[in-house]
Amino acid sequence: MAVCLRLFIGLVLLVSGFEKLISPYQNFLYVIQAYQMFPSWMETAAALLVPWVELMVGIFLVLGLWLKRSLKGAVILLACFIIIVGQALLRHLPLEDCGCFGEAIHIPPQGIMVFDSLMLLSAFWLLRYPSKVKGLSLDKYFNS
Amino acid sequence: MALNKQKITGLIVGFAIGTVVVVKLILTNSPGVVMDSLVARTQGPASAKVNIVEFIDFECPACARGAIELKEYLARYPQDLRVQIKYFPLMQMHRHALQVASYSECVSRQGKFWTFFDSLMLQQGQWSQLVSAQGVFDQMAQQAGVNMAKLKSCLSSDDVSSTIMSEKALGQSLGVRSTPTYFINKKMVVGSKSLADELTHDFPSVSQ
Repeated sequence: MAVCLRLFIGLVLLVSGFEKLISPYQNFLYVIQAYQMFPSWMETAAALLVPWVELMVGIFLVLGLWLKRSLKGAVILLACFIIIVGQALLRHLPLEDCGCFGEAIHIPPQGIMVFDSLMLLSAFWLLRYPSKVKGLSLDKYFNS
Repeated sequence: MALNKQKITGLIVGFAIGTVVVVKLILTNSPGVVMDSLVARTQGPASAKVNIVEFIDFECPACARGAIELKEYLARYPQDLRVQIKYFPLMQMHRHALQVASYSECVSRQGKFWTFFDSLMLQQGQWSQLVSAQGVFDQMAQQAGVNMAKLKSCLSSDDVSSTIMSEKALGQSLGVRSTPTYFINKKMVVGSKSLADELTHDFPSVSQ
C-alpha cells in the first residue's frame, strides 16, 4: 500500500513535470498568470523552474532514491499548489481549468484541490512511516 | 565500476535532462510560424515592423481581452502593426468553439471577417452563455453584410472544417496549447497579460 502510494504520487509529479517541460514554457507561464498571485518576474521564474522540480521529485519517488528528501519535496510542492489554487477559489477567479497537467488532462480547480489534498495527506503519512515506503526502492538497495 | 548513491543520482538527473532536451528538440522541429497569404484574416500593411500571428478560440475570455487590446494598438499604430488570425478552437472546453470558427471562416471567405470578429469579441460574454448561439451568429453575419445563402452553403462544406483543423494542427506543431497564443515577430507569447507586456516593453517604438 505504502509503496503503491509512493509510486502513484511520483508518477503524477513526473508526468505533470514532463508534460510541461516538453511544451514551450510560455504555456505554463500563462497558467501561473491566471492565478494572479505573483509579480511578473516570479511568474517567469516559476514557469521555468517548477516543472523541473516536479520531474525530479517524481523520478526520485518512483525510483525510491533519497526518499525522505523526495517526500518532503513532494509535501512542499503539493502544499504550494493547494495554497495557490485555494486563494484563486476564494477570490472567485475565473479559472476554467487548473492547468496542472498542460493539455493532457483538464481538471477544474475544485477537483484539483481535492486531488492535491489527498496526495498531500498521503505524502505526510508516508513521511511518518519511512520503513513501509522503502519497498522496491534504490534507497533499500544502497542501504543493504 | 561501482556505483554509489551520488553517482547514480547524477546519472539519473543527467538522463532526465537529456530525455527532456531530446523530446523537446523532436517536437519543436518547426521553422516557426510565418504569415501566409490569408488576406481576409489579416489587418495592417505588409511593411509593418511588428507582425503578430494569433491562434484564437473565439469563445475564450482572454482572447476577447487580447482582441480589444490589439484593436487599440492597430488603431493607434496602423503603419507599425500587422495582425493575422488563425483558428485554434478548444472543443473540449467551449461548446461553440468549432461552430463559431466555421462561421468566421465562411464570413472571411466573403471578405467580412473583421466586422464579424469585432462583434464576436464585444458580445462574447452574452453568446458564450447560450446553449445554441446559431441565431446570434446569423444576426452578426447579417449585420456584417454577408450573403446569407452563400454563408449557409459554406457552413455545410467539409472544406471549412478541414481549414480550421489544419490551422489548429499547425498551432499544435508550434507548441500552442492554449489560447490566445501570439507569435510576435515569431516570438511565442501566451495570454493577454504577456501580450500587453510584450507590446509595451519589447516594442517601445510601438508603445510610445
